[in-house]
This record gives sequence, C-alpha cells and structure tokens, in this order.
Amino acid sequence: MSTAAANAGSILSEQLRELIRAQVPAAQNIEVTNLSPLTAGNTRNAWSFDASWNEHGIAQTAACVMLRKAEAGQLETPLIPEFEVIKALGGTGVPIPRALWIDPEGQWVERPAFVLERVAGTSDFPALLKPEGAETSRGVAEHLVEVAARLHTVDWQARGLGFLPATSVKTAAAQQVEYWESLFRRHRMEPHPMLVGAFIWLKEHQPVADRVTIVHGDFRYGNLLYEGKRINALLDWEMVHLGDPVEDLTWAYRALWTPASVMPLEEFVERYSKLSGIPVHPHNLIYYRLFNEMKHTIISLTGAKSFNDGRTRNIVIADRAATVTSYLIQFLDWLPEPRLRAAS
Amino acid sequence: MIRPTIGELLSGVATSLRERVLPEIPAGTTRRQIQAAIGIIARVALVWDKTAPYLYADNMDIAETLERIQPTLERVAVEEDNPRVRAVLTKLHQTLEHSSEPLGPCPSAEVLGARNLELQEVLAEIQEALHEETAVESATRDGVNTELYALFRRMLTRELEITQPPRRR
Repeated sequence: MSTAAANAGSILSEQLRELIRAQVPAAQNIEVTNLSPLTAGNTRNAWSFDASWNEHGIAQTAACVMLRKAEAGQLETPLIPEFEVIKALGGTGVPIPRALWIDPEGQWVERPAFVLERVAGTSDFPALLKPEGAETSRGVAEHLVEVAARLHTVDWQARGLGFLPATSVKTAAAQQVEYWESLFRRHRMEPHPMLVGAFIWLKEHQPVADRVTIVHGDFRYGNLLYEGKRINALLDWEMVHLGDPVEDLTWAYRALWTPASVMPLEEFVERYSKLSGIPVHPHNLIYYRLFNEMKHTIISLTGAKSFNDGRTRNIVIADRAATVTSYLIQFLDWLPEPRLRAAS
Repeated sequence: MIRPTIGELLSGVATSLRERVLPEIPAGTTRRQIQAAIGIIARVALVWDKTAPYLYADNMDIAETLERIQPTLERVAVEEDNPRVRAVLTKLHQTLEHSSEPLGPCPSAEVLGARNLELQEVLAEIQEALHEETAVESATRDGVNTELYALFRRMLTRELEITQPPRRR
C-alpha cells in the first residue's frame, strides 16, 4: 500500500470511529481495524472493516461494510430511503444485511454513507452464467424465486415503508415511466427519436398491477451475495420503490444477466406465483420487459452524460451510451404489434 | 500521410496497453479503469474511419423517410386543420430543404453529425405531435409509426456497426 493510501485509510478509520461514537453514544474504546476497499460500484464505493467497542461493560464487535456515495455516476439516488428500507426489512425473511449506521450528509466520512453488517458470500455472477456453473446457478435461481416471492409479499405498510412515494395499481407503471422519461429528458445528449417513440408506446400501453408491493428495482444476478446455492443477501437497494412486482421479475431476466439457461422465465413465473399468490399477467410481463430495456438505456445514457460533463472520472461508465443500441433492438423485437416489430 | 491510419494507430495503442501495461497493474480499481480505457480505445480504433459514412447513410435514410411521410402529415394539417401538426410540418419542410443543400465535396463527420441532430429533432417532434394530438385519426398515426419504426430499426442496425463493431481478426 502506498503512503498516501495508508494515510487515507488512517483518516477514514478515525472518521468511522467518530461516526460510531456519534451513533452509539454508550460506546467506549471504539476500534476500527482491517479497513480495506472493496470493488467499487458505479454509484457507491464500498469499504470493508471490523469494528469493536465496549457498551455498558459488554464487548461488542461488528463485521462491517460501508457504502459511501461515489462522485456522480449512472444514477444519483438519496441514501436515506435505501438505508431505511434495509432496516425495515430486517426480520422479514428477505435475505438482507443488518443496517447499522448512517451518515446521510457526509458529516463524519466526507460523503453520504451508510454501514451494513458484512455478509458472507460472493457476488460473482459471471461464474453463474458459465456452463460449469449451471448446477449452482440452478440452485441460486430456485432460491431467487423464493426471495422474490418473500419480498413482494412483505406488508410494506406494517413495516413502516409508507415514506416511499405512494402509488396505486393503476398508476404504478405511469409513475415509473414518468420518472425515467424525466431522467431521459434531463440527460440526453441528442434527441433520440427512437426513445421518444418508445416512451410514447409505454405511456399508451400501461398495465394495471395486480397489487402494489416493494420493488427492489435492481433485482438480478450480480446484486446477490451467494454461498453455494443459497442467497445470503440481496444488495444494492438504491432503486427501491413501490410498484408492480413484475418489474423485478423481468429485470432479473434481462439478457445481460438472465438465469434463463438454468430456469426459463416461464418456470420462474410459475414458481413465483405459486409461492407468492401473485398472478403474473402476460401483458404486464411483456410490458415490463419493454420498460426495463428503456430503464437500462436511460441508466446508461445518464452515466455517459455524467462522464461527458466531468461530474465523474470513472472510465468504466464513459462509453455506456454505446451499449444501448442492443437494448433498443431488443425493445423493437419484443413489441407486441407485428407492424412495428417486423418493420425493416 | 495515410499510414498508419488513425484506426491502425489506436488499435496498436490498445494492443500495447493490453499486452504490456495491463499485466503490470494489480487487480483493483486502477486496473478496472485501465481495462475500460483499453476497451474504448479498441472500439474507437475500429469505427474511426466509418463515422462519416455512417452519418451520411443515416442522414439520407432519415431524409427519405421524412419525404415519404410528408404527404400524410400535409393531409392531416389541411383536412384536420391541426396547428400542432402544421408547426411540425413547417419544421420538416425547412429541415428537408436544408438537408438537400450540398455539403461540399467532403463533408466532415462534424458537419454530418450536426445535420443528423436536426433530422433526429424532426423525427422526435413528429411523434410527440401525433401522440399529443388525439384528434389525429389512429389509421394515420399507425401509418406514420410503421414508417418510423422501420426507420428506427434500420438506424439501430447501422448504429451497431459503430457501437459494437465486429472485432478484427
């Protein structure tokens, strides 16, 4: 480790001690050890560390992960709702890390951040997509169905999640389309007539949700910590909202990370409906498949714009605009109207 | 000077970075940044020389499509006396007139790109007008949309050559 990196680590350790001191007033002899950076996401930088302290004479320890807001990335979402949702879902059976502490304004650790309990497992999703990982992947997919069913049947009102923007079965799709279209209009770097047309299509074909549930918003291989065939934690809740649960199911089956080779979507949906009691209507299914292609398109264009504007220097997202062509072709291929789909 | 071309030069740089520099960098954030940069350089190397022809073909295709849907919009503007469609039509006429002006013997990618943006703008506005003006009969809307979606597919197919070019052997 370079001297500069060691100094930065030492400063951050002290900042974390101060954060714990502020949020656990009875804590004494606080120590932060084994601080090390983890893989950086596009919107959050992750650090692993161990904390120990003494509280009312009892020794306490916690294996922790701090997620600290990165410079501008693909999406800019507030941390507090994400942290509160993670906290509220504790004890519901949804595999989730325990929420520990939050620094919403970056008062202690320079940028907004929160700390979760560190959970064992790997998030290596490419390994699940390789032929040699098929058996493990099948097991993880089976557990993923259970996790989806559990998440979508949580009584979110009883859990105090009424602070999430309200929606209804009739407005769930409209609100999401409106949100993503507003990002598109704010971040597009050219008119993108095809996207304008796609948003019009989404506005003209909105389905009614069977019910309003918590929607993870980024529910997929890649946002799981798994060990063997079991999922230990569902990660990355920054796009969580209330809405149509079908949005999560179809996001999990986008081409980039789909488990379709080990569990076709039809089987996933059938198992899900059996476990959750939530029917999945064909129109909702195709609608959210189309919607998600647009959603990922806008996420990518937002990232490219952030880099172009110099609000982030993360080269990993610099060329994301080039990835959207295939998403848009997928959108056209899935359109239900043959006259639009087959056009060439 | 023709050789090395920009494409060849960038391709060589990407290869050198991948073979000589990357192995020296330990796993971590810096390595991921360098890997991403190499990927971008390699893509740009493959498409550098194709950008102007791509934009030229795109502009031609959009202009021809606009010419095909122009009579339908003219009919809507006159028969239904629709001011929104009339405004879009005026812009369409101006843009087509502008796009038929000669660009000179060797238009740059920048000039072609600026024209592409103008044409894209008209396409976006036509769709917005037809969506917002509910009085326009659905058969008219469907006819225009069929033309436009066919264009979008052709545009995306062309765009793939630029955004995800086949790798050189």
